Amino acid sequence: MHTVSTSNTAAGQRTKRPSDWTPVNYDLHDTWFPVSHSRDVTSRPIRRIIHSQPYFLWRENGIPQAAEFHPSRLAALRHASSAFTGGSGSYPVIERYGYIWAWYGDPDHADIQLLPHIPFLPLDGNIPGYTQRTVRFDASSALSVENLIDLTHADFLHANTIGDGISESDVVEVEWTSETVTRTRMVTQKSVAPVMRWVGGIRARYQDFRAVLHIHLRSNVCISYPRFRPGYDIPNLQPFLPVGRHRSRCDVTFNTTAAPSPFRYLMPRINYIIQPQDNSVVRPQNERYLDASDRRDLHSRFDAPGTRYRYQMEQLAERQRRGDFSYGADAEPGRDITALLGMDG
Amino acid sequence: MANNAWWASALSEAVNNEKPLAVVCNGEELALFRDRQGQAFALEDRCPHRRVPLSLGCVVESGIQCGYHGWTFDGASGACTTIPNLHANERVPARYAARPYPVAERNGFVHVWLGEDEPNESVPAATYQPEGREYTGAGTISILHEEYLAAMLDGPHCLISFDAVKMTDFFLGDPRLQNDHLVLDRGAVWSTRVLPPQFVVDYPLIVRTSVPVRGGDIRVELLTEQEAPLCTVFIASGANRRGTTSVCWRGFLHQSDVSHVPLRWRAARKMKRPPFRVHTQVDGKLLATLLEAPSRDLARLRDSSIIPLRAAV
Repeated sequence: MHTVSTSNTAAGQRTKRPSDWTPVNYDLHDTWFPVSHSRDVTSRPIRRIIHSQPYFLWRENGIPQAAEFHPSRLAALRHASSAFTGGSGSYPVIERYGYIWAWYGDPDHADIQLLPHIPFLPLDGNIPGYTQRTVRFDASSALSVENLIDLTHADFLHANTIGDGISESDVVEVEWTSETVTRTRMVTQKSVAPVMRWVGGIRARYQDFRAVLHIHLRSNVCISYPRFRPGYDIPNLQPFLPVGRHRSRCDVTFNTTAAPSPFRYLMPRINYIIQPQDNSVVRPQNERYLDASDRRDLHSRFDAPGTRYRYQMEQLAERQRRGDFSYGADAEPGRDITALLGMDG
Repeated sequence: MANNAWWASALSEAVNNEKPLAVVCNGEELALFRDRQGQAFALEDRCPHRRVPLSLGCVVESGIQCGYHGWTFDGASGACTTIPNLHANERVPARYAARPYPVAERNGFVHVWLGEDEPNESVPAATYQPEGREYTGAGTISILHEEYLAAMLDGPHCLISFDAVKMTDFFLGDPRLQNDHLVLDRGAVWSTRVLPPQFVVDYPLIVRTSVPVRGGDIRVELLTEQEAPLCTVFIASGANRRGTTSVCWRGFLHQSDVSHVPLRWRAARKMKRPPFRVHTQVDGKLLATLLEAPSRDLARLRDSSIIPLRAAV
């Protein structure tokens, strides 16, 4: 794993100027997508979409099914199945962590070992319904992920909920593999977030926090572990489903079961406030990343995780463009990330 | 410039055998009329004699008669059949003709072929198969035709509304090319429900817009989440003068028995209220805020479908 801290990044390093970033066009194959919360899949079919590819989901005798066509038309249309289901019409599917995970790519490559490890969610998905919410982003999944990585925006766009950007010390670190990017932000003596003050009952004026965000590049599965002291841990999963080039969907889980009431119930719903704020910026932003431009983005040192994310995504996309869909030796998507998230500290 | 395509240019009931109907279709000025047998014809709305619009005239036994000097033209060939007051030994020169356009009438629409090539068989409204009562209308809207088509993908709520339905701009995937049309689904909710769309896990409704790569036939469908059709609207559109767009439409309710339909919807249908409204006035402010998203694909495809028209005769 590679690591860089913003506090010791050498300035003035010159490298070959990369081509412009056009994240809207990413279509990375061979990965599991958490396509729906488990509880939303019943015997009545629903349709979800990954990169414009339809995923009809339903249960038969309690077992989740995923297919390219509505089950009532599956038999008749099976002959028209795509390579995503190997001509069978049905996708590989697994139920875990309270989600239905469906495979996007060559079905022969589907491997349960490639499922991400999410240490704060029960394997059998046995978690209260209030922890799960659905939000929609008016941007492609990669831009939505970049929005989540980017922390400096939160101090401005979400100041009324998450808090301002004033602190004693603010260090951002980033580490990566060929399949993941992990961002860690450590802040000391930051004003207590309004939501934690007014709903969480934290009466201190300042708090420290450490927020780890572990991103699986192919699937946009963002595993987030923020720890506030004084305060609570708010482990959460934000998987951005790439619906198309203009929109993404996020079936989130905030495991706030260890936090006191009413904070534990309200925190998962905070996305209903935050997400329209994010949409107000990512929506107009999205169309400006559709085509390569000569006017390149400018960056500050706080953008190191974001620029690393851009670079790693581009590397992965380039590999797939060459026809290489394999996982690198350093990848191990299913490895235990308990320590990486700082859960044991 | 024109693309070789059939354009649905008028509702069938608007074309009769008494008074010609003037239409502008993709910038072409046309006079539409019928003969006594009900056959529909289209001629350029320009008398080759003194350039007066033929639509100012009337329909007679042998075709359309110009209102200025009474020259009469055959609907099918455009040939001038009569010049009033010629001597008995005088004949109308064979080359005297108004410009005719191929016409095909199907499912309540009069189509005109615009382009230099021979007409093909793919008449747009052939796919429109109404059931039961239809709701129809026509109008001219102050918006460029290409922008009208683009807005149908980016924000159809600016141009059409379904009773008791709130469209979202959450696209269910990207536009897909099907039969020379870009087809895009978006989520929708019943406006009677208290829960705002952002709280809805799976949208109970789908609005599917289908916008042509060539021609002007648009289809807007309201579907349930199980993709059972509730309402279908076929909108024929084309460029009119001065950056405006002509539209005429037909739509109908499907006879499907769908559960979870709100009482307000059912009651309004019982009272025979139209299930949809095609807007003939566009809210410029609303339109200006629409971001160019799925329509980018359309602009690229329509550009490549346009071929130069040879010099007009």
